[in-house]
Amino acid sequence: MRLLLLVFGLAAMAMGQDDDIVWLDSYAEAVKTAKATGKPIFLEFRCEP
Amino acid sequence: MLGKLLRQYVCVRITRMDTIDIGLFEHDRNNTLYFYLLNADEQIYMRYGGRDSTSPDAYLNLESLTLAAAKGLELHANRPAATVRPKPDFPKNYALLVERTFAKNQCVECHLIGDYQNLHRQQDGTLDKLQHLFRSPDLKAIGVSLDVPKGLVVKEATGAAGEAGMKAGDRIAQWEGKTVWTFGDVQHRYNETPRTASVAKVTVERVGAMVELAIALPVRWWLTDTKFRQSSVEPRFFFDDRPLSGEEKKAMGLPAEGFASMVKYVSSTAKTMELHGLEVGDVITAVDGKRVDSHAHTATLYLVLRKAPGDGATLEVMRGGKKIEMALKTMQMSFRK
Repeated sequence: MRLLLLVFGLAAMAMGQDDDIVWLDSYAEAVKTAKATGKPIFLEFRCEP
Repeated sequence: MLGKLLRQYVCVRITRMDTIDIGLFEHDRNNTLYFYLLNADEQIYMRYGGRDSTSPDAYLNLESLTLAAAKGLELHANRPAATVRPKPDFPKNYALLVERTFAKNQCVECHLIGDYQNLHRQQDGTLDKLQHLFRSPDLKAIGVSLDVPKGLVVKEATGAAGEAGMKAGDRIAQWEGKTVWTFGDVQHRYNETPRTASVAKVTVERVGAMVELAIALPVRWWLTDTKFRQSSVEPRFFFDDRPLSGEEKKAMGLPAEGFASMVKYVSSTAKTMELHGLEVGDVITAVDGKRVDSHAHTATLYLVLRKAPGDGATLEVMRGGKKIEMALKTMQMSFRK
């Protein structure tokens, strides 16, 4: 249950007040974007039920 | 706060492992959520995640994730020295995984990767059950309880950690000389410890000073409950036991260092599958004539370590004061295969 709350809490942050956060679904694209912007990468591995 | 920090990252969420370099992103695949903070050169700053056998979210917390995200930005600004990149490895290198997922257009999930890696190790004869099956040793087994929202701040140090001088309020800073920032980092480094090791070298930050500790690892420090893992390399037999005490062994004339154990639970699955006829209260005094093992302290651990799924065994059992011999069959968990 706590795991679900954490997942949804994180998702809410990404989609609610922080809806300008873009979540990519391609690792290769993330590396390419990080190279272009100089930003670090925040990589999430999630098991989808 | 976390949202503000994440805006300074390129965020990516991966739910299929098909093309991921699992050599670089090597972690316990029985984690439902796991994070890496890294740069565009694929230099990993830290990991975030980890679990114990009781709960998948024992060490997941928004507050500590926020701390990690902030530290990741700081490390990125300062660019720590590059580390050696691990040898690349990809899910497609595992023939069984290809045959049973890729070829059937099925999802390649994290836990399947861990399972098939072990199946291949079993086939190749390289499976080390202490290292590969008993992954992610539990910090609590050496007396370390963390204040989870605060990351690596120790809430309580008892047992081996307490005896080594660890104190509440310490922050774990290094594990075996490697800098750690999160529980995920610690669990990763701790898992690298050879199971024959007798000491863990840990550095803690205490009131601004670094203090080196040598934690004497207790016997079977690597032992965890593996039932949640759905492992295909672990023989299953559907009973639990407890080790006999020294007094109980002495009273029965059994060797003090032996793995004699008392059955404390039998699942109805054992009867349904006709695996064995054990009953609660039975005392297993030998397996295949053996009473002593270098690692096992119970009959169940002996079976897990020394038998492959599907193997049989002969148990010597004391029931109601009488010695009986009993055949036992083991079975293989078969998860999405």
